[in-house]
Amino acid sequence: MSFIKIRNLKYSYKDDEGSPLGIIRDISLDIEKGEYIAIVGHNGSGKSTLAKLLTLVVDDYDYLEGSIEVDGVEITSDDMTEDGIYDLRKKIGMVFQNPDNQLVATIVEEDVAFGPENLGLERAEIRRRVDDALATVGMTEFIRHEPHRLSGGQKQRIAIAGIIAMKPECIIFDESTAMLDPIGRRDVVATMERLNKEDGKTVINITHYMDEAVRADRVIVIDDGKILLDGTPAEIFAEVDKLRGAGLDLPQCTDLTIRLKAKGIDINGEINTPEQCAKAIAAALGK
Amino acid sequence: MSKITVENVSYVYSGGTPFEMAALNDVSFEIKENCITGIIGHTGSGKSTLVQMFNGLLRPSSGRILLDGRDIWENPKEISSIRYRVGLVMQYPEYQLFEETVEADIAFGPKNMGLSEDEIAERVRESASFVGLSESDLKKSPFDLSGGQKRRAAIAGIMAMRPEVLVLDEPSAGLDPAGKNTIFDGIKKYAESTGSAVVIVSHSMDDMAKYCEDIIVMSHSRVAMKGKRNEIFCRGDELEEIGLGVPQITLLMRLLCEQGVNISQDIYTVDDAEKALSELFGGAR
Repeated sequence: MSFIKIRNLKYSYKDDEGSPLGIIRDISLDIEKGEYIAIVGHNGSGKSTLAKLLTLVVDDYDYLEGSIEVDGVEITSDDMTEDGIYDLRKKIGMVFQNPDNQLVATIVEEDVAFGPENLGLERAEIRRRVDDALATVGMTEFIRHEPHRLSGGQKQRIAIAGIIAMKPECIIFDESTAMLDPIGRRDVVATMERLNKEDGKTVINITHYMDEAVRADRVIVIDDGKILLDGTPAEIFAEVDKLRGAGLDLPQCTDLTIRLKAKGIDINGEINTPEQCAKAIAAALGK
Repeated sequence: MSKITVENVSYVYSGGTPFEMAALNDVSFEIKENCITGIIGHTGSGKSTLVQMFNGLLRPSSGRILLDGRDIWENPKEISSIRYRVGLVMQYPEYQLFEETVEADIAFGPKNMGLSEDEIAERVRESASFVGLSESDLKKSPFDLSGGQKRRAAIAGIMAMRPEVLVLDEPSAGLDPAGKNTIFDGIKKYAESTGSAVVIVSHSMDDMAKYCEDIIVMSHSRVAMKGKRNEIFCRGDELEEIGLGVPQITLLMRLLCEQGVNISQDIYTVDDAEKALSELFGGAR
């Protein structure tokens, strides 16, 4: 059984005149536990709305059709209770774009403890979870610091720790690296990957950075509220025309290799990251 | 020629209190005319403080900002006139749109400058064309535009004042690749057709490599490096040490070199890499 099972999902907003405006136009999708997925798509393609529907944080359910099941529970059912929604948000955590909007306390450890405290856990358990979560994101030494004095990447890692401390099965990163500098971005991506590879968490990274998307095991391209492509990075980034048509780009190394191939130069193997690309080009040159 | 000269500028937040913090520490460099200059640096390195100095939103605690050789704070009462000459596009400028139509929003700046109706109309049209907004987009409410279009409308509003220096703080943050390319192409068009000095602050090494001729690297409130882009990006190890990286293509060239491929390390865009590698493969055959 899939962890997340989406069937014929449709969702609209109301425009000014009150008529529905299609955002999600028929998405069916299965996500298994432990997957590392990147979701890409142009601004307004519907990818963030999809993520919000998975944790039921949209405002208006009048224009929702189809179904979403999470861990065997149909969350789109009319029978969904308040308790059911809390259970859902224990299973799926979200990290958003702007770290400043996600931090609530004046000391790092209190911020991370906020979620577990609200779960009504024992004091010792809260302590354990806060310490473990900060260790996972590599921020233990900042435990008594004030969050607002940290860098963007550090703040974002505190926000992630706050989510980890809730022990969700799945974490959705909704453009969580968009406001970070290169090192902040690298640290957050490394944290995502550690959560997936070492702790077996399901990780969904919604991003505009193609160099992040190529690192996932599976890439889903959303265009105009539908799934345009779904496959491994190698499969997805071979579809140059479809990607460009959807307002997306290629990772630079992929772009380079495709141009060289078009000139009749024979380069084989995976070519999406600088490491893969260097290896393939060196091999083609007989090095 | 030097358009803006930053001369030993320091800036201290909350000076004289226990929270005193130096955001800029003895910073000096030049911004040239007819040139796109990139400012890069990690979060908190002082970049955003610095750009607010260029048009006098912040006043240096010590040191001087010279525009065409004259201290912009020479006569503090006239500082507002500097803001027509140095246009600043802040982060997420689309939140500052407020008029009923895109056209009126872009016209707001030129109108305040007291220009004639004809001149305003012409500038609105020209700025819209730089950023790729159509005639029909101009008639729309800003709130009916997509996120990327809103950002472009906001940038066009600054361009319409035809500033001699156009400063943009993270102009492409949060945009998809196509939206990002449209914005950078628009900035380039503005720079080329007006000869203005342009300053772009960004985290994206790839974009900096593609669009900027001069690069200034900020680290911990100081200038860590300044120079032509090839002089900067060849110092990959140092860039990584101060929390930045190199463009992906530069990294690729370095990895190739480590694998024993003899290729120039002075390459940072896909176009240049394609050229160099084609030659290498051609030569091998």
